[in-house]
Amino acid sequence: MTTPHDHIAAQLLNSKSLPVSSTWLSNFIASTAVQRHIPLSALTQTALFRVLASDFRDSLSTGSRCSLLPVDIFGPTVQERRLQGPIPVQVLDIEDIGSSLWGQVEAIERVERGEAIRGREIVRTVNVDEDPEQGANGATATATSGNARPSEVGNSTGPHRLIVQDAAGTRAVAIELKAINGVALGKLAIGAKMLLRNATVARGMVLLTPECVTLLGGKIDALDQTWREGRKERLLARITEMQTEQS
Amino acid sequence: MAVQRVLCVAEKPAIAKAVAQHLSGGSFQTISVRGNQYVKNYVFEFNFGNTWGTCSVTMTSVIGHLTSLEFDRQYKGWLSCPPGALFEAPVHETVDSDKAAIAKNIKEQAKYCNALFIWTDCDREGEHIGTEVRKQAKEGNARILIKRARFSNTERAHVLDAARAPIDLDDLQANAVAARIELDLRIGAAFTRLQTLQLKNMTEALKEKIISYGSCQFPTLGFVVDRYLRVKNFKPEKFWGIKVMHTREGIKVNFLWRRVHLFDRAAVTVMLERCLIAKQAKVTKVNQKPTSKWRPLPLTTVDLQMMGSKYLRMDSQKIMKVAEALYTKGFISYPRTETDQFDKGIDLKKLVEKQLPDGNWGQYARGLLDGGFRTPRAGRHNDRAHPPIHPICWVAPTAINADERKVYEFVVRRFLACCSEDAKGQSSEVEIQYGDEMFHAKGLIVLERNYLDVYVYDKWESSQQLPNFQMGELFEPTEAKIFDGKTTPPNYLTEPELIGLMDANGIGTDATMAEHIAKIKDREYVAVHSRGGGRNAVKELIPTRLGVALVEGYDNVVTGLPDSPSLSKPFLRKEMEVRMREICAGSKSRIEVVQESLEMYREVFIHTQRRISMLKDAVRKYLIEEAAS
Repeated sequence: MTTPHDHIAAQLLNSKSLPVSSTWLSNFIASTAVQRHIPLSALTQTALFRVLASDFRDSLSTGSRCSLLPVDIFGPTVQERRLQGPIPVQVLDIEDIGSSLWGQVEAIERVERGEAIRGREIVRTVNVDEDPEQGANGATATATSGNARPSEVGNSTGPHRLIVQDAAGTRAVAIELKAINGVALGKLAIGAKMLLRNATVARGMVLLTPECVTLLGGKIDALDQTWREGRKERLLARITEMQTEQS
Repeated sequence: MAVQRVLCVAEKPAIAKAVAQHLSGGSFQTISVRGNQYVKNYVFEFNFGNTWGTCSVTMTSVIGHLTSLEFDRQYKGWLSCPPGALFEAPVHETVDSDKAAIAKNIKEQAKYCNALFIWTDCDREGEHIGTEVRKQAKEGNARILIKRARFSNTERAHVLDAARAPIDLDDLQANAVAARIELDLRIGAAFTRLQTLQLKNMTEALKEKIISYGSCQFPTLGFVVDRYLRVKNFKPEKFWGIKVMHTREGIKVNFLWRRVHLFDRAAVTVMLERCLIAKQAKVTKVNQKPTSKWRPLPLTTVDLQMMGSKYLRMDSQKIMKVAEALYTKGFISYPRTETDQFDKGIDLKKLVEKQLPDGNWGQYARGLLDGGFRTPRAGRHNDRAHPPIHPICWVAPTAINADERKVYEFVVRRFLACCSEDAKGQSSEVEIQYGDEMFHAKGLIVLERNYLDVYVYDKWESSQQLPNFQMGELFEPTEAKIFDGKTTPPNYLTEPELIGLMDANGIGTDATMAEHIAKIKDREYVAVHSRGGGRNAVKELIPTRLGVALVEGYDNVVTGLPDSPSLSKPFLRKEMEVRMREICAGSKSRIEVVQESLEMYREVFIHTQRRISMLKDAVRKYLIEEAAS
């Protein structure tokens, strides 16, 4: 009979292509051992949920080369190469390269003021028909009426540029070559997980298309929060940097 | 039975005269009114039909509102009370001193009349003026019967019809105006006194100034400042794109990138490289389809002001003044309307026919009558009071002044355009996939200009023709390369844009928007600058230091108070406007609305008093420090 450990490891590998690290899994099982009567399927579900919320560098094994990014992936001299994968990666940054930085700053400031734009109309998004269910940061993201939803939240048009990271900590720049459902500012959290399969890398950039990306979801809470809090500052800093470069 | 005597009262002397002329058939007696040189009494007989029969008529007028609302004497002095007290200080209505003679005339005339027939303009304001007239008449003759005419232009047949089908005054609309007047007075006076008293001693520049506040004025100013700051704070950024060109049949076809441009040079470079590696582009779509440019919608006031200030080189207030004059003279219909659909009952062909004598568009009108006529498109607005603005009769260009000619011509051309066929054309589109990227090229041939022939303000022209491409064909584009560019700041706000913003955000009504804009210029909160020169000069609105200081100050006052939107934003005023409509619909009473709206503003008032230092800081920043540097 297989142990729960082996069962979960096999399940996550077969259904999600996630090679879970043995140490991490042992710790996980130990932490749940207090609750004796959890069915194995539920335990597997919990494990998956935890993996998705974890840092892949802790939770995945780096044993197999084919589930890792090549360490020289960023090499700009390589015109084209293919990553067979599947390679599990986590998102460290996302940016909309279809919009100007300044336009994004203006959009953020509108949200800060509690306004949204609907055509020529300025719409207030705070304290209108207050919904008691709304969380603290949901106040602006969840505008009341469907069409008043600020276009800047969760609806960036892209294409997006991501920075992804594998279990060994290798990072790569990825460009959304064709629109991928779920890849947008406000939709794709920092620390969200995805699988890359048969992805093309051109001049060091992973080219993302719906065919080669499987979104697994999840996020790393701490990273996501600091990323969001610091986003406007980072945009402003880059604008300043650009300004000084140009002058 | 003795002959009935009817007193008719219009909103303006010119309307009284025009209506008197039509009803009397041209023969009436003119009697001066003691104490006012503009208002006259016109005496004649007219057969109203049905129960009224032939009556002896005295037609007179007021000049706009007869009365205004005032605070009681002890609150009038600027230092008589804390400004906040004005939210509940007693108010009363008094006849304006320069209107006393007019009020007296109505009172006197009413004594001899059985009926009062009100001919004020058919809009909210006119309804309220009607109640003011009614009050005076009742004071002279408590038993007088009250009726009102429903009319929207001073064309003869229309006026005669209105005279024979009187209706009742709409007290709900009058109440909405009364509520607005009270709110404007209290809120305006409270904030104006507060900010003037607090700010005047800060700098010499403000010493003699009244820094007025108005609940429409400030959001209007807010729009101007908002755009100004966006222009000022703007940071240009570089972008890159891919340009594909292909020569075929001697034609250079420029294909536009579907992504337009991106802000990441490396990404664009990789994308271009992948196009070049692919070598051949594939035609993924070839589309040829009939297309049309729609004729305009029937003309509303907001549109007249926007189009007018764009094409006629006049500001919106001027346009409204001129349109008003054209209306009073009977050349165009009532120029204050939200309606963009013609009533089925109106005989449009007959109105087209009236334009036949014109040297410029008479020929075009002839074409419409000879089969070119189309029923105008219907918009989605109907104020149930007035039709869209349209010409009533033809007027010789020599009979009106230059400005009137421009506005009249616009109204006529727009009307004829409404009654015309859409412009027709053929559009062609070719889409290609090159590497992983999509590009497209478009061509247009205009086949029939139709309405464009008369509506010279719209442009729609044939573009370069596309050569032949076959669906699915592969070809190697002649050239593909990267281009770069820089983002540019938005332009400063223009008057048509401002009107559009006010309209979309519920600031003012079509009747008052132009006044609010004039007001913020008057108060030196904004100035008008010309960009470019000659015929293409664009007039832009730029806030003064004081204008920016006020907006920034009020925005800072409410920072961190989620329940209190800034006075520079449209939200509070928009809510008030919604409540006015509720009075008109009968779902809220005047008193309820006044109380609720005062509550909203009082809260902001209290914050402003508490955090007045924020307002002062802003004034110091812009009027003292920045002015000195």
